[in-house]
Amino acid sequence: MFYRQAGTHHSNYKTDRSLFPIPFDRWSMIAILTLGVLAPYIFSSFVLTSYLLPLMIWVGAALGLNLLVGWAGQFHFGYAAVMSIGGYTAIHATQAGIPFEIALILAGLMSMLIGVIFGAAAMRVKGLYLALATLAMQFVVDWVLTHVPAISGGASATLQAPDMTLLGFKIISETGFFYVAFAWVVLVTLFLLNMRRTGLGRALVAVREKDYAAAILGVNSFYYKSVAFAVSSFMGGVSGAILVFCFYHAVTPEQFTVNVSIQLLAMVIVGGLGSIIGSFFGAAFILLLPGALNSLVAFVTNALGMQLGIETLAHIPNLIYGILIIGFLLYEPLGLAKVYDNLRKYLMVWPFGYSKR
Amino acid sequence: MLKSIKLTAIGALAALVVGQPAFAAGEPIKMSLNYDLSKVYTFITPRVAQGAKDLGNLINSKGGIEGHPVQMDISDHGNEPQRGIESYEKAKREGYVTFDYLSSPVTRAVLPRAMKDGNVMLQAFVGRADAIDGDVFKWIFPLGATYWGQAANIVKFIEDQAGGDAKGKKLAFVYIDYAFGQEPIPILKALAEKKGIDLQLFPYPLPGTDQASAWTGIRKFKPDWVVHWSFAGLHVIASKQMKRNRIPMSKFISVNWMNEVDIKNIGHERAKGLKRSEPIVSGRDLPIIQEILSELYAKGKGSGDETIVGSTYYNVGVAIYATVFEGIRNAIKAGATFPLKPADIKAGMESIRDFNAYGLMPPLNVTESDHGGGGKTRITEWDGEKWVPLTDWFVADPDLVWGEVRKHSAEFAKSGK
Repeated sequence: MFYRQAGTHHSNYKTDRSLFPIPFDRWSMIAILTLGVLAPYIFSSFVLTSYLLPLMIWVGAALGLNLLVGWAGQFHFGYAAVMSIGGYTAIHATQAGIPFEIALILAGLMSMLIGVIFGAAAMRVKGLYLALATLAMQFVVDWVLTHVPAISGGASATLQAPDMTLLGFKIISETGFFYVAFAWVVLVTLFLLNMRRTGLGRALVAVREKDYAAAILGVNSFYYKSVAFAVSSFMGGVSGAILVFCFYHAVTPEQFTVNVSIQLLAMVIVGGLGSIIGSFFGAAFILLLPGALNSLVAFVTNALGMQLGIETLAHIPNLIYGILIIGFLLYEPLGLAKVYDNLRKYLMVWPFGYSKR
Repeated sequence: MLKSIKLTAIGALAALVVGQPAFAAGEPIKMSLNYDLSKVYTFITPRVAQGAKDLGNLINSKGGIEGHPVQMDISDHGNEPQRGIESYEKAKREGYVTFDYLSSPVTRAVLPRAMKDGNVMLQAFVGRADAIDGDVFKWIFPLGATYWGQAANIVKFIEDQAGGDAKGKKLAFVYIDYAFGQEPIPILKALAEKKGIDLQLFPYPLPGTDQASAWTGIRKFKPDWVVHWSFAGLHVIASKQMKRNRIPMSKFISVNWMNEVDIKNIGHERAKGLKRSEPIVSGRDLPIIQEILSELYAKGKGSGDETIVGSTYYNVGVAIYATVFEGIRNAIKAGATFPLKPADIKAGMESIRDFNAYGLMPPLNVTESDHGGGGKTRITEWDGEKWVPLTDWFVADPDLVWGEVRKHSAEFAKSGK
């Protein structure tokens, strides 16, 4: 049902290798894209600024991290630090009069440079040791931000983001901010979708599965790991800059602490490692669920006329949130993306389920 | 049928109008208290929220503010800036008139929006300290002493203890090495130079559980005074280290974040002689706290655990909101009409004169250019059972503090937001 494959024949390589060979996938992608473009006119400004805009920005960052963790199989516990480098670079660059477009690229390049330097050192070790080495990056960057006033303006300072001009348009409205973030997510998504079917994508997967097996096949694992660190850090830097310019409008060291790194990693893992749609689900789950649960619990207790202490009221959503994460990971360790995938595969052959095998 | 429904509706409406209790009949004044109730600041925020809510209930039971009940909605942001922003965006669309986050990262993240939209944001003891500069931060109300002001006042106390001349005195500044702990350093350095104090800095890293090397250094330095910029359990670790290094408690002065729980964990006897900088009076020996106890808790209407009433952070909540209510009262008295506009609240807050929050605070004077209210604090000492004030309310070196404030606020003003 829906995902009908009948009647779809591929008579040349071009259509066979297209991004969405199944018509329903293609049409739903177009529908989602249209929804995104029309979002400012469909949703209220509250939903747009408080849910959709941060969602887009965090999806961008989660996709960047997913490239590294999901595709190349290299854990990174310091992705918030990578984002902070991008954020600070963009602010300093624009304050120095550099146009925003170039500042954005500079932000990515600076994150890439520092990310690769740390990555190169960290990649001498593997697995958990790598995770700890990247955690060290988080703390080193945190320390530098709070101790070097030239970068952060001092530990207790907040740097304001100057007005943003992109391709000649002055971007000041909520709609404008949303479109910038949305465009970035579309760009990153398209890049990752295409990367999957290139030599780079396949090499990354080979390195992820077993790096010395990949080396025997002629894939230089150190090189490809470095490339993964570089590309992922670039995306993180740009996402950080967009986060600062479109959402926070200011930057302070506390916005990029280790908690944020863990949250990002949670988005990637709960969403599904190495899955693009998983990053969307994961970001939505980790970012929006706590707030939504808060409102839900407050609404339910109000409706029932329950008098709960403020602390209890604050902790119930956390409890549910924790149960949900554990539940999802127990029920489907491959993440939300796999839940979607199972549903899709089920519908694909419905009602002839026996034909799956 | 239709007629009977209409009649019932009219009847119900009439009952609603007539049946409303005489008190607090006006339109409610909605305040958003979006606090971290579940993550980092849980040792402070639930107590502050309880105090604020109790005061609100007390005011409502007495007819509200000029006949208008206060509606205080407390929610959780888990110390995550994006959730604070979500709460702000929601609350501002629902007619809330004050916004309070009680967390530095969230406050800093919401500040640009509050400034742009022109909404009154409270930030007592958190967020950027330069926000007391009302000329630049028109919509931000820190209400109370800044960390810079507290540091200057502590140095003044040390000077007074030395008979007016602190020259050659050794001051060890111990702090947790991030934004909060580092904040008073420029003021301390400037004052040390001005007064000839031998100042040495002893940072210890986050999360603050390992303070051993800092305190060993302090032992070698042999200070006359130790000033500690930290909070909660870290005070307890510090006290153990002080014992190990034989540094007497009487030399110890803490920033305002030191409460009964910390004292209990240090040990009531052991903590004897310990001093703290105090911007808000703690304890139950105040008419307002007694009134809360007799009017709310005795009747089972308290918002939380009765034992917390009168504790340090509880009183912070009462004091902050007593001041805010006073500001709103000023606004309504000056003829502000409902729905209240942010500009009315701002004008009301800026006309607070000599208001001491029922004896909880030094007399505050909030003006258009000073949103801090004067920055007075006092030094109190733990005598084994209670806090004993060693000084009267005072403010030291306001020029120096304001110099630092203006230096930072000018940066903000320059960015043109």
